[in-house]
Amino acid sequence: MRSFYATMRRLLHAVLLGLLGAGIVHIAVLLLVPEFSERDAWSRLSMASDLYRMTRLDAEAGGAPVVKSVDPLFYATACRFDLGEGMVRIKAPGHVPFWSVSVYDRSGHNIYSFNDHTATGGVLDAVVLTPAQMIDVRKDLPEDLQGTIFVEAPIEEGIFVIRAFVPDDSWKPIVSRFFEQSSCELQDF
Amino acid sequence: MLKNAFLTLLSLAIAIVGGGGSVWYALKVQDGVGAIRIGQWTAFPDIGTPSADPYSKARVAREGVLALGRAEGLSFVAERDTGGAELKRECTYTIEGGFPTARFWTLYAADQSLGVVETGKPRLAALQSYGVVRQPDNSVVISAGHHPMPGNWLLTDGFGRMYFVLTFYDTPIASSTGLSDVSLPRIVKVGCDA
Repeated sequence: MRSFYATMRRLLHAVLLGLLGAGIVHIAVLLLVPEFSERDAWSRLSMASDLYRMTRLDAEAGGAPVVKSVDPLFYATACRFDLGEGMVRIKAPGHVPFWSVSVYDRSGHNIYSFNDHTATGGVLDAVVLTPAQMIDVRKDLPEDLQGTIFVEAPIEEGIFVIRAFVPDDSWKPIVSRFFEQSSCELQDF
Repeated sequence: MLKNAFLTLLSLAIAIVGGGGSVWYALKVQDGVGAIRIGQWTAFPDIGTPSADPYSKARVAREGVLALGRAEGLSFVAERDTGGAELKRECTYTIEGGFPTARFWTLYAADQSLGVVETGKPRLAALQSYGVVRQPDNSVVISAGHHPMPGNWLLTDGFGRMYFVLTFYDTPIASSTGLSDVSLPRIVKVGCDA
C-alpha cells in the first residue's frame, strides 16, 4: 500500500513538473513564432517577387492574393526594400478617390502610415530612409525632392503597401492604371 | 530505473504537447488580448504595431497580416447579433444606426478567414458609405440577406458562419482617445431561410 502511495506521489510530481514545463514552453514558443515564421508577409512576398518590385496584393490581378485580408473594395500593392542599400522612393502619378501608404518593418509591424490628405496636391511621392540618410539629405536637398514626403524609419529591411479605394466598378480601370504607373525605386544620393 | 525514465518522459511529453498546443489554440481563437468591444463589434487597434502584445505579434507573423495603420483606418468585426446568436449566412439581418466620423467606411460580409463571401454574382457582398441611402437623421439602415431588398442591400450567399467587417478610413477614432464615446450600428436578426 505504501509503495502505491509513493508511486502516486511520484506520478503527481512528474505531472506537475510537466505542467510547469508546459508554461515555459508556451512562453518560449510564443516569443519564437515571429522569429521563425515562414508564413509572414515578408516571406510570402519574397516568394512572389524580388526587392523593389511592386506586387499586387488583391486577387484582381489574377491568382490567389499573396497577403490576405484586404478590403474587397480596395486594391493594394506592396514592395520590399532594403535601406542598407540606400533610400527608396515611391511614386504614383494620377488621382484616385483615396490612397494610403503604410511602411512595415521586416516582421510586419506598421511603423508609419499616411494618406492622400498628407501629400502635396494629393500626389503620391514619398521617400523612405533611415535617420542617418536623412541627415545627409538635409544638408543639400535635391531639387526634385522638394515636395516629397520623407518617412524616417529606423529599420533596414521593410515593406511598404499602397492601398487605393475602388468605390465601384467604373473606378477599376482608373485605380489599376494608378498602380501600373506606380514605382518603387532605389534612389541614389 | 524504468519507472524513472517513464516519469521523465511523461513530464517532457506534457511540457511539449501542452506548451505547443496552448500556443496553437491561443493563436487560433478570434478573441484575444488587446481587443476593444463596442456593442457587437470588436477591434484590435494595436494589432500590427510594435507596441502590440506577444499574442498579436505571433498572429501577425503566422498569418502574414499587414495591418492597417493609424492614418489609414480601423476595422471592426462582428460575429454575433444583438440577441447574442452567431451570425449565419442563411439569415437576414438589419444593420441600423449612426456611424462615427470618418471620410468613408466600407462594410462587407466575410467568411471564417475574414475574406469576402463569394456570391457567384457580379455584385460584391460589400457596401461603402458613398453608395448608401441615408435616413433624414443621417443614420443608415442596411438589409443583409440572400434576397433583394429595397433601400441598402448587402448581398450574402451560402450557408454557415458569417462575420461582418466594418472599416472606417481616415478617421479620428483610429487614435485610441477617440474610441471612448463611439457608438456603432446594431445588428438585428430578421429571419432565416429554412
